Amino acid sequence: MQATVVPQKTENVEAYMKRKAGLGKSFDFGMREIVILKTKVQLYYVNGLVDSSIIVQLMQELVNINDHEVQEKKAAEIIENRLVHEQVEKVKTMDEVVDQVLSGLVAIFVNGLSYSFVLDVRHYPGRTPDEPDTERVIRGSRDGFTENIVENTALTRRRIRDERLRNEVMKVGERSKTDICISYLQDVADDEFVQYAKEKISAIDVDGIPMADKTLEEFILGGKWNPFPMVKYTERPDVAARQLLDGHVLIYVDTSPSIIILPTTFFNCLEHAEEMRQSPAVGTFIRWIRLLAVLSSLYLLPLWLLFTMDPSLLPKSLSFIGPNEEGNVAIYLQIIFAEIGVEFLRMAAVHTPTPLATALGLVAAVLIGQIAVDVGLFSPEVILYVAISTIGSYVTPSYELSVANKIMKLFLVITTAIFGVPGFVVGVTISLLFLISLNAFKTPYLWPFIPFNANALFRFILRLPTPLLNRRPSIVHPKDEYSQPVKRNRK
Amino acid sequence: MRKSERKNNEREQQASTSPSLIGIAVTTGLSGGILWSAIGVVMYHFNFAEVAPKMFVLRSWTKEPWTDTWLGDLISILIVGGISILPALLYYALFKKRQSMWVGTIYGLALWFLLFYVLHPMFANIPNVTDLNKNTIVSTICLFLLYGTFIGYSISYDFHDMVVKETKKNNN
Repeated sequence: MQATVVPQKTENVEAYMKRKAGLGKSFDFGMREIVILKTKVQLYYVNGLVDSSIIVQLMQELVNINDHEVQEKKAAEIIENRLVHEQVEKVKTMDEVVDQVLSGLVAIFVNGLSYSFVLDVRHYPGRTPDEPDTERVIRGSRDGFTENIVENTALTRRRIRDERLRNEVMKVGERSKTDICISYLQDVADDEFVQYAKEKISAIDVDGIPMADKTLEEFILGGKWNPFPMVKYTERPDVAARQLLDGHVLIYVDTSPSIIILPTTFFNCLEHAEEMRQSPAVGTFIRWIRLLAVLSSLYLLPLWLLFTMDPSLLPKSLSFIGPNEEGNVAIYLQIIFAEIGVEFLRMAAVHTPTPLATALGLVAAVLIGQIAVDVGLFSPEVILYVAISTIGSYVTPSYELSVANKIMKLFLVITTAIFGVPGFVVGVTISLLFLISLNAFKTPYLWPFIPFNANALFRFILRLPTPLLNRRPSIVHPKDEYSQPVKRNRK
Repeated sequence: MRKSERKNNEREQQASTSPSLIGIAVTTGLSGGILWSAIGVVMYHFNFAEVAPKMFVLRSWTKEPWTDTWLGDLISILIVGGISILPALLYYALFKKRQSMWVGTIYGLALWFLLFYVLHPMFANIPNVTDLNKNTIVSTICLFLLYGTFIGYSISYDFHDMVVKETKKNNN
């Protein structure tokens, strides 16, 4: 299809806009016509996306031309000269003009010209950078990404002023035309990887991606029914900058405050900014406790179920574990009910307005904690272990991972309930083999555990002091392996 | 100045520590042996399995009382770690070019058969496979599957990684 060129007569432009862009029908698509030196000038905009104060200034300047200039023949040149704005572009096709206007730019048509002036006067409704709810730290910067891609890249650029930082913009979505930005350090990130990511993104052919980064992830990573997060999200610019320096590739999606970090492994999802904000010893301690919490959110319940089903498994010193009295309901059913109950609460808490949340907590504590035990539905020990494993899942830094772990836990509870010890062991083996077999963007998911990499695993288990971290992680295949000179650490 | 100096350092470093794949295979074998035999010990203590690493590497030739304590477990874990270098090197010699992780998994299964059938006469104190209970058989097979995957996938991934790196270097 051939693109329509900009018609010379403004009446034709108006007719085109009425036909194609719904001028006069859509209330947000507007036009203003003025006459300057007896030449018709039309100005198209979308209200709400443009900064009215700039437009008013612009029009003032244009209308003033009538008072100061007389050369009617030079009208076009005079008008161009008087467009007081730093970003003025000449666009020759109508399709592009319409695209630009719909993304918040202003198009100015001058009768007799076969192109249009397009000025960037965008002003999107949005909020100011705020501390992200999901990644709070006790000390550290309080700014977070917003819904505006330009602000987001700027927040990262503020932290890495390197001329080798590349922010490449692409567009995805036939109708939504969402801006997407791939960000990487040119002399660090693996070329092949960047190329691969770009190919994957440009291959997307869909109407729109209103659910932004999540939809994009589904397109570029496949893995249709895999519950585990194959990418890490972050809303913190400092985390994003750190990952960039490690050689990762970032993907910003306009309208989303979380950005995608590629490639990601399971262990990336267990790292938290807080660990880097504390001294190495404290950071290591926090990380260990966190690991313990995540492990117990996964394996504690199925293990306990196993021991109540078959107390002979327990060594003597631990024989107190297990309910003292058989409840009225089978233990595995109690666990599943309690788990589902906790899920009810979690979902309710997300949707409940803050003033009601206290009431919700009260109901939860009293109903499930006390009365369910009193009426004999749950045994107290079930509540204890379900509570521990639930708290463990809240400790998981990545929300996506915590939900996936929950599914894995339920799977293990069910296999254990049906098959006992073999059920548990085989269940764990299958789930581990599944995790090992996952491959996110050519990156083994359980690296550095399996495939084993002693250095990297060491680096995960001990939160090392930054002066010792002179190598970038090998998993991203960095072109420049060192992040600081080596000799400094060899004193 | 500093920058060029730094680049030189990097070059030296890269040349001197270009890690040998055999070395990586040995580390993998050692760590794999230690890790999975430790899990084997835990499984024994929680009665998932009637056999423990120490029954193979210690109790089959000595009945000293200390072997029955935690020291026996610890020593046996270390011994298994040392022995485990052998299967790692064997895998390196035979299958390092196979990229799939499942080769490692099958390798683990093969090791299980080797230990419980072929090498069985070496361990007088281990009952016949037919006499072991269901839990023990399932648990040990799973342990070996994971051990094999750990060894196999690690070695072939590192090998593949090295090949990719080399070709990239040659292309530049």
